[in-house]
Amino acid sequence: MIARELLLAIWISLKTSGLAALAASLLAVPAALSLASREFRGKRALLLINQTWMAAPTVVIGLLFYYLLSRSGPFGRFGLLYTQTAMTIGQIFLILPLITGFSYTALRQVDRRARLTALTLGASRRQAGWVVLREAKFALLVAVLAGFARAVSEVGIAMMLGGNIRNATRNITTAIALESAKGEFTNGVILGAILLVLTLGINILVQVGLRSKD
Amino acid sequence: MSHPAYSLEDVHYAYPESRTGFALDIDALSVGAGDVLALVGPNGAGKTTLLMLLAFLARPGRGRLEFFGEDPWTDESRALLARREAVLVTHHPYLFKGTILDNVAFGLKVRGRPEAERRERARRALALVELDGREETPASSLSAGQAQRVALARAMALRPRALLLDEPTANIEAGLAFRIEAAILEIRRETGAAVVFSSHNFSQASRLADDILYLSGGRRVRFSHENCFSGMAESDGRMSWIEPHPGARIVFPGRVGGHVTCVINPAAIDIHAAGHPAAPGAGPNVFAGRVTRLEAAEAGLALIRVSGGLTFRATLPLAEVEARGIFLSRSVLIKFEPEAVEIIGSEPPEKAHD
Repeated sequence: MIARELLLAIWISLKTSGLAALAASLLAVPAALSLASREFRGKRALLLINQTWMAAPTVVIGLLFYYLLSRSGPFGRFGLLYTQTAMTIGQIFLILPLITGFSYTALRQVDRRARLTALTLGASRRQAGWVVLREAKFALLVAVLAGFARAVSEVGIAMMLGGNIRNATRNITTAIALESAKGEFTNGVILGAILLVLTLGINILVQVGLRSKD
Repeated sequence: MSHPAYSLEDVHYAYPESRTGFALDIDALSVGAGDVLALVGPNGAGKTTLLMLLAFLARPGRGRLEFFGEDPWTDESRALLARREAVLVTHHPYLFKGTILDNVAFGLKVRGRPEAERRERARRALALVELDGREETPASSLSAGQAQRVALARAMALRPRALLLDEPTANIEAGLAFRIEAAILEIRRETGAAVVFSSHNFSQASRLADDILYLSGGRRVRFSHENCFSGMAESDGRMSWIEPHPGARIVFPGRVGGHVTCVINPAAIDIHAAGHPAAPGAGPNVFAGRVTRLEAAEAGLALIRVSGGLTFRATLPLAEVEARGIFLSRSVLIKFEPEAVEIIGSEPPEKAHD
């Protein structure tokens, strides 16, 4: 695998998984805040569904979206199958329950007085919600990073929805699968190591950035 | 015409998820701007619930609650404005992660005040609770007493029109508690804010407040200085008692501990001349004494003061006075049911010295 191809695969991995983590967080964290701050009928069932969804195999999600995005599927007219967008959409649905579940746990652990105190000091309900998020920021960060790690390391969705097209949708994990299929195990291991180093670097950068602001 | 800070009329509130059936009912209450009102009562009396209503953190189920002549619950934006004018310091205050300054400036920040103003007002408020110079200290490193002082400074920095304090000196050592009390009066003097605070401490309430609202079981209870007693409570599990005078035991139902202040409604006291056929025998809450005052009161009642080990004030229809053989200096026996004893204050034993 030549250097340019390798760099492109790394870039595609970071881009699709990064966007998926961002989009899923924007949906999951407010949902978790809403779940954590109120009691309602059906909440337990919702949490159970979310927990079950967390365990969904990547190929199952890949298969579902393959059907949805293929030409004969309900969203086939958008021509998204075998694109980076399709990979990102699939990964969003993969990590959405994970970030929601972790964020919910993180927000439930915030002292219930935090929101009340913010309200007593004149915060609006939205501002009080932000206070709760801020109090749980490290735990929420762990939730988002866990989502990113899950997305960047999965192969089923990337393979089924991206198609492993050279210089277009091939990312690190699909490249590893290809190298292994070719019997180039050394290349596969090197790519795996690169993936781990990248994930480690991102984790360190984000954590250091947040701590310096605290 | 200037409106009172708070005006309550037939206010009712019940917690939606409550299993105990507790409800707060306030028939009428008015707190003037610049007034200090103390809420006194035992745990579960409704003090905190009333403070939550006054802070517009909970909406009355029915009744009228006006703040400076307006009903803030007509829409959410008015409620927010009212909440910004009526600041509550909770019993166990929560400090946000960050520094003392972050905490004290929080309320000003959500109001969009510039940073220089936030810093200056926070510094002044911290000086009032003797924490100036410690702006950059992490809030997580503070003791419970220091946290209480930061919470107080956090509220004072906002210069609210109403300052609501839920047991403001509960976590503070006695010496500092007096300084906090002084700070409360200082706020009233400087800003003209109405101050409403809750306390188990009857003497503190008397020291600070212009008026005292006694609550028990979510309702206002009448208070009489004449029949007010306090002491360390003991209990056998079913009944409890205090002994304000050696050998004079006031018994009341339930298991109550710590330092208790209670009152007995004069109308609930039964009184007969000693030796009278209907005079009570031995039993709980039976006291012997001598009539030291006997006068006609309103509504055809006689007001009788009985002095013995303890002094009680009882009321009796005028026509009954003679029938029961009661006259001035006469030895009498009085009796009241344990259920007639209303606990208006109780403090845990470790705080009883306050």
